[in-house]
Amino acid sequence: MKTPLSGFYRNPVKFRMPTSENLVPIRLDIEIDGHRYKDAFTWNPSDPDSEVVVFAKRTVKDLKLPPPFVTQIAQSIQSQLAEFRSYEGQDMYAGEKIIPIKLDLRVNHTLVKDQFLWDLNNFDSDPEEFARIFCRDMGIEDPEVGPAVAFAIREQLYEIAIQSVVSARESRLSKKGRRGADFTPISKGGAVAVDLVKLFGIKSSVVRKRKEWDVYEPIVDLLSNEEVDVLEAKEERNFR
Amino acid sequence: MEGPKDPNSNPGRVDDSDSELELYTIPSSSRWFTWDEIHETEKTAFKEYFDGTSISRTPKIYKEYRDFIINKYREEPSRRLTFTEVRKSLVGDVTFLYKVFVFLESWGLINYSADSGGDGGEAEKEHEEERCMVKVEEGAPSGVRVVATPNSLKPLSLPRNASSSGNSGRIGIAIKMPPLASYSDVYGDLIRRKEVNCGNCDDKCGSGNYRSIKDNLIICTKCFKNGNYGEKGTMEDFILNESSEISAKHGAVWTEGETLILLESVLKHGDDWELVVQSVQTKTKLDCISKLIELPFGELMLGSAHRNGNSNSVTGIVNSKKQIQSSSSDHLETSKTQETSTAQDQLSEPKIESEQNGDAVNESPLKRQRVAPLSDSSCSLMKQVGLLSTVVDPHITAAAADAAISALCDENLLPRDIFDVEEDNASGARTLDDEDLEMVERSTQSEVKDGIPLTLRIRAAIGTALGATAARAKLLADQEEKEIEHLVATIIEAQIEKLQQKVKHFDELELLMEKEHAEMEELKDSILTERIDVMRRTFKSGIARWKDYPCAKS
Repeated sequence: MKTPLSGFYRNPVKFRMPTSENLVPIRLDIEIDGHRYKDAFTWNPSDPDSEVVVFAKRTVKDLKLPPPFVTQIAQSIQSQLAEFRSYEGQDMYAGEKIIPIKLDLRVNHTLVKDQFLWDLNNFDSDPEEFARIFCRDMGIEDPEVGPAVAFAIREQLYEIAIQSVVSARESRLSKKGRRGADFTPISKGGAVAVDLVKLFGIKSSVVRKRKEWDVYEPIVDLLSNEEVDVLEAKEERNFR
Repeated sequence: MEGPKDPNSNPGRVDDSDSELELYTIPSSSRWFTWDEIHETEKTAFKEYFDGTSISRTPKIYKEYRDFIINKYREEPSRRLTFTEVRKSLVGDVTFLYKVFVFLESWGLINYSADSGGDGGEAEKEHEEERCMVKVEEGAPSGVRVVATPNSLKPLSLPRNASSSGNSGRIGIAIKMPPLASYSDVYGDLIRRKEVNCGNCDDKCGSGNYRSIKDNLIICTKCFKNGNYGEKGTMEDFILNESSEISAKHGAVWTEGETLILLESVLKHGDDWELVVQSVQTKTKLDCISKLIELPFGELMLGSAHRNGNSNSVTGIVNSKKQIQSSSSDHLETSKTQETSTAQDQLSEPKIESEQNGDAVNESPLKRQRVAPLSDSSCSLMKQVGLLSTVVDPHITAAAADAAISALCDENLLPRDIFDVEEDNASGARTLDDEDLEMVERSTQSEVKDGIPLTLRIRAAIGTALGATAARAKLLADQEEKEIEHLVATIIEAQIEKLQQKVKHFDELELLMEKEHAEMEELKDSILTERIDVMRRTFKSGIARWKDYPCAKS
C-alpha cells in the first residue's frame, strides 16, 4: 500500500471479506444488570436480517440470559453488519498486499501466540481451515481454540480490508494518499503491509534466516487455573 | 547388531560422498519430480505463480518453497512434518504455503514413509497408509523409485546447515540438493575403495578407516591409533568405518594362531560374535564370521553350537539365521537330489540379495525386511554356487557364467579390464573334462584369486548361480506349462461333455413339451365339439335365448 506498483495492479475488487467465504466477524460484549455476555462469531452478510433477531432470541434462551439482552444482541449485530455493508460496493485497493497477522489470545486455559503472513488478495484463503490445521499440528485439544484463532484472523483481515477501502478512496481523491495506520487506532501496528520487493525480490530468499525461526514459531501454552484467574481479573479491570 | 563399531549398523555414514546414496522412497506416481525443474503438474496446480503478474508469486519463489519443504522433511523422514513447522521458516502467504504443503503431501514427496506421530491427523495417516498399500499391490519394485538426498539420521546435517546459514543467511541455497535420481551402486564400493585416502598421512585406507562426524575428515586406522585426529578433532568424533568388502579382503590374511583363537572362542561362545571378537581382538566381527564360514567345517561347528543352545542371542535376525543354517546343514547332509535343490534355490535368494545390497543397505522400513545381513551366509557362498550349478548340465552353467561376466563388463568399464584376465582362466578351466562342477568352480576361483577383487568374483559367481538357477527354472516352467496345457485340455473336454448332456436334456424336454401340446390340441378340439353339440341340442329343444348365443360363442 505504501508503494503501489503499477505493473502489479489488478482491477479493483468490490469490498468483501478477503477470504473464500464472505463471513463477517461479529464481536459482542454486552453488560446489563450485572450480567455480562461476551461472544465472538462470524455472520454471513447475505443472510436475511430477520435471522438476527431469531439468533438473539435463541442465544438468550440457550444461555438463560435476562430478556433485555435480546434487543441488545440484535442491535449490536445489526450495527456491525450495517458497518460492513456501508463498505460494500466500494472499490478495494487491489494491489498485491501481504500483511502480517499476529495472534495473541487466550481461550480458556490455552494461550496462543503466533505470527504469520497473509495475502489480502488471495480470495482462496480460509481462516477456519488454517485454524483447524494449526490446532491439529500443535496438538490443541480444546475445541474452542480453533474458532477463536479463525475469528482473530478474520477480525484482522476485516480491519485491513476496511483500510484498503479507505485508502483506495483516498488515493482517488489525492495522489498523495495517507497512511492506512491513521485510520486504524485499534490495529496495534499489525496492519502495515510487508515490503514485497524486499521480501520477494530476486536477491532475497523466501526461506527465513534460522535465527528468525523462533520469532515466527507459534507458542501454545496451557495455563493453570490460578494463572487463568489472574488473567481474568486483569481483563476485568481493563474492561472497567 | 547395534553399536558404532558395527559396519552394518549404518552404512549411510560410510563417507561423505555416500550421503548422496541415501535412498528415499516416493510413490511411483510422483516420478515426474526433479530438483532442477518445475514440472507441468506443478504448473497446473499453481497457475498463479507462472503467469508473471505477481511479485510475491514467481516460479523461483515456488521452487524455494518446494525445495525447502522437501528438504526439511528429509532431515528426518521417519517423522511426520507438519505445516505449522514449515511456515515458521518460510516467508509468504500462509494460505499459499499450505497449498504447496498439501500438494507435496498428496504427491507423497513429503510424509510418505513417515510413521504416525501426530495427534490429530489420524484419518490422514490412515489414508496415507492405505495409499501405500495400494502402491505395493501395483508392484512395489518397479513402482517405488529410489532417490538420493542428504542422510536423514546424520547428526551432522543440522549443524552444517546452521553454520552455513550463519555465513550466507540463505538456507535454501546452503542446503545441499543433490539430483534426484535412482542410483545403481553396483560398483560404488569398488570405486570408493580407490578414492578413500587418509586425511592425515594421505595413505590408502585399505584396512578400514575412521570418519569424523563433524567435518567428514577420514583418517586411517594407523593415524587413529596414533592419536592424529586432525586439527580440531577428538577421538569421540570419529567413527569406525569398514565396508564389508574391505574387511573381507582383509580377512584373507589370517594367521594360524588367530584362526585357532577364533575356533576356540566359537566353540566357547557359539555365535555370540561380540564375545568372539573380544577373544580374537585382532579382527573385526565380520572378519571372524567370514573366516569361520570359509573354513571347511565352519557350519558344522556353528550347528553344534546351536544345538548346544550356547547362543544367547535374542534378535530375530539371528533366529532366522539359525533356521537358515540348520536347514542348509541338513541339506548338506542329504544327497544333492532335485527335491532339495528347489529349497536350496529359495535359500540362496536372500543371500544373493544381501550380497547385492550389502554395501548400500537402506534403513528405510520399506526395504529393511528384504535385506538380510551379510553374516547370514552361514556356509560358503562358493559352495552354494557349486550346488546350484550341479542342478543343471555343465554346458548350461558355463553359458550362465559367460553371460554373467559379460553383463558385468557391459555395466561398467572397471571390471572389463579385470575380467579380460579371468576370461582366459575361466575358459581354460571350462575345457577341463570334469564332471564335478563344484571343482571347476573352485579351481576357477583359485586360479583367478590374485587379480580380481572379491566383490567382483562374488558377483560373477552369483551371476553364474542365477543363470544356472534360471536354466533350471526354465526347465521346470516348461514342464509345468505342459502339465497346465494338459489339464486345461481335460477341463475343456469335461465342459464340452457337460454341454452335450445339457443339450440332450433339452431335447428330451422339448419332446415332452410337444407331446403335451398335442394333447392340449386334442382336448381343445373335443371341448369345441362338445360345445357345438350342446348348442345344437339347445337349439333343437327350442329355448329361445338368442341373446346368450354370442356370449357362448366366445
